[in-house]
Amino acid sequence: MDLSQYAELFLAESREHLSACNQLLLAWERNPASPEPVGGLFRSVHTVKGMAATMGYARVADLAHRMENLLDQLRRAGRPPGDAIIQLLFRATDALEKAVALAVTGRERDLDIAELLAELDRAAARDAAPSPPPAAAPLAAASPADIAGSGRLVQITLRAEAPLKGGRALLIVRKAQSLGTVHNLTPASPAFETEDFDGRFAFRLETSADAAAIEQALRGVGDVERIVLDEDEAPAPRLEAAAGGRTRHIRVDLRRLDALMDLIGELVTARGRLNELAARWSSRDPAIDDVAIQISRLSSELQAEIIQARMTPVWQVFDRFPRLVRDVARQLGKQVAFRVEGKEIELDRAILDEIGDPLVHLLRNAVDHGIETPAERRKRHKNPEGEIVLAAVRERASVAIRISDDGRGIDRARILQKAQREGVVSPHVEALSDDQLLRVLARSGFSTADAVTSVSGRGVGIDVAMTRIRALGGSIEIRTEPGAGTTFVLRLPVTLAIVRALIAAVGAERYALPLTYVAETVEFGATAMTTMEGRDAIVLRDRVVPLVDLRKLLGTNEAASSPPQRRPIIVLEMGERRTGIVVDGMVSQQEIVVKAFEAPRGTLPVFSGATIMGDGVPALILDAAGLL
Amino acid sequence: MSDATRARLLVFRVGTLVCAAEVDQVREILPRLPTTRIPGAPPVVAGLVNVRGRLVTVVEGWRALKQEAPATGEGVANSGSMLVLNLGQTTPGSAGGAGGGADQAQEQGDRLVGFTVDEVMDMLTVGTGAAETTVQERGGGDDGGDGGLPGLDPTLVRAVGRSHGALFVILDLAALLGPILLQGRGEQ
Repeated sequence: MDLSQYAELFLAESREHLSACNQLLLAWERNPASPEPVGGLFRSVHTVKGMAATMGYARVADLAHRMENLLDQLRRAGRPPGDAIIQLLFRATDALEKAVALAVTGRERDLDIAELLAELDRAAARDAAPSPPPAAAPLAAASPADIAGSGRLVQITLRAEAPLKGGRALLIVRKAQSLGTVHNLTPASPAFETEDFDGRFAFRLETSADAAAIEQALRGVGDVERIVLDEDEAPAPRLEAAAGGRTRHIRVDLRRLDALMDLIGELVTARGRLNELAARWSSRDPAIDDVAIQISRLSSELQAEIIQARMTPVWQVFDRFPRLVRDVARQLGKQVAFRVEGKEIELDRAILDEIGDPLVHLLRNAVDHGIETPAERRKRHKNPEGEIVLAAVRERASVAIRISDDGRGIDRARILQKAQREGVVSPHVEALSDDQLLRVLARSGFSTADAVTSVSGRGVGIDVAMTRIRALGGSIEIRTEPGAGTTFVLRLPVTLAIVRALIAAVGAERYALPLTYVAETVEFGATAMTTMEGRDAIVLRDRVVPLVDLRKLLGTNEAASSPPQRRPIIVLEMGERRTGIVVDGMVSQQEIVVKAFEAPRGTLPVFSGATIMGDGVPALILDAAGLL
Repeated sequence: MSDATRARLLVFRVGTLVCAAEVDQVREILPRLPTTRIPGAPPVVAGLVNVRGRLVTVVEGWRALKQEAPATGEGVANSGSMLVLNLGQTTPGSAGGAGGGADQAQEQGDRLVGFTVDEVMDMLTVGTGAAETTVQERGGGDDGGDGGLPGLDPTLVRAVGRSHGALFVILDLAALLGPILLQGRGEQ
């Protein structure tokens, strides 16, 4: 059997397990007395070993085997591991990750791990306990085989995101009791109250009800992910529970989803044509209208499904950050508590793939420049352990990702001085607003780090992050307060593929403006006019908003049509910045399929792509970030 | 360029110039479609068209080859044909175009460009013994060389051919269209 076609799958699955290993090691490092992590680690490493052996990657399997040995010793010993062991396991996990990557590219031989293997063996030998103490087995590890007894075996997994799992589990047990007699409940009901109850439990049920009736009754309680009746199958391993408990997943190549997206785009366009035709022909045969309406509905649903299929929870990227923050903090001798919020928020896969690097830059910056050393923090009466929070929040049509630290904040005076010295900011400026500060920091190569450390060179990171986020149609904001910390907010569209947009007319042309950054529309002349830095501007609720006339900006052929008397102004807002876009008229508001196009030399840098309108004619999409 | 001497060629006319492109590089021939202007782009770029859901940037043939504008005047937009040319695989990163990752699959696929012509004339197979059709590589000399091609930059010509006594040039499409379209995303 040719296994090479499975290499990609092996890589993806191994990475998931290794990511889980990192999470577990971090948890173990924080709380070495906890008995939980070692079991999970053992299972993950064991799985990688099995997969590697199947693929014929002997060295990967060997490394995993030695790790497994050590973990097995530790598991049996049941006592907290020393720091040296944890660090060894971190290194071994890194090596395993590297080994997996090398193996799938056929370069397994490049792997030099002899020393690490010896170290793992020595550690395992040292930790070998002559007689494994009967450490209390964690409840979750109880296998169904232990749940002997009469009646049907019922195994239940609650949804990972279900709140108050313990309460839900009790309700399910009570429901089961209404069908018959429940015994051998595992874990026993008091365990439902503990924090680490993961939503999986099992019991025997003596009842005359049939399988369908049992399943229906128990599912009726709600939040049930999975019910297994009578099968002596082990409950789903922990990793799957962490992955949201969804087991009915397949892996799909992203390119397939992209291709589907393109096809659906064409279908939407064809639907527009069909609707036009239907309107024209419906007097001859009214049935054509019905068909057109049905096609419209079906294609809308199909479109929504495909977009949903592209959505991916942010934890897929966030999960590697705890390890990163820990490593950087250790390297710099800082103490950092790292918290992640909103892991389940979803973003289009294409966006998610792009934001990893910018987030790495910002997190490194936060540890390196934000968080002070423990000594400095003590002097300032702060907790010696700093805090960094990475939080994702769903907003109207976008997702905000916030990276905040409780560190020293950015020294505006110093940045201003340096910016003035370098001629970036006029010497008359007395203070930098948050917005100006960000613009200065984001200048490529602008660095205020006293010495460029191996961790970050400040300006470079923010510069890279800004460019990437803007290319995705997103924005970055900064808030900083001396002594209290710094927060970066990244705003991203939920999907790149389809956005709601305002279609504006300019002369005979149409342009699409994504609604993500449209704050409001006002009529030209309905508000007071003024000027701002030589540009026309309007006063909107006591704020001066500069105007951009699209006719002038885009060089619309004036001779072809003169502007109408009353022109609408579309006010765009991104962070603190606002700009009014003067157009000729508003055509409609609709969902558009975003497509890339080959931009010729000279193309104005204000387009983020193009779309195809209902009549089949392309229209360019204006990029809010480019206009502001 | 020995393959060029054995190639199948599509012969078309732009202004007074009779040109040819290898059939392998022509994905399809469409009637000329209305284009959407790309603000800021030079006049040689006619704009964007929708080719079955794919956005294709169209280059105005007569401008690119420095020919007179077609005489049809106002009706220009609907006369003539458009060749959809395949300039080969794009490499990730150099893929032109504004916009997001929605079209990544496409961007990694073929790079398509529209090219307007006045008239598609013929399809020829050369190098298979058809005596009336011959092809001479550029710089080959004695059939008039570049002499019969007034105003055409010789670097855009891959070879010169003769069919039934009439001269035609085989265009170097990459050399002709590359400089017009090439725009890195970073410049945006």
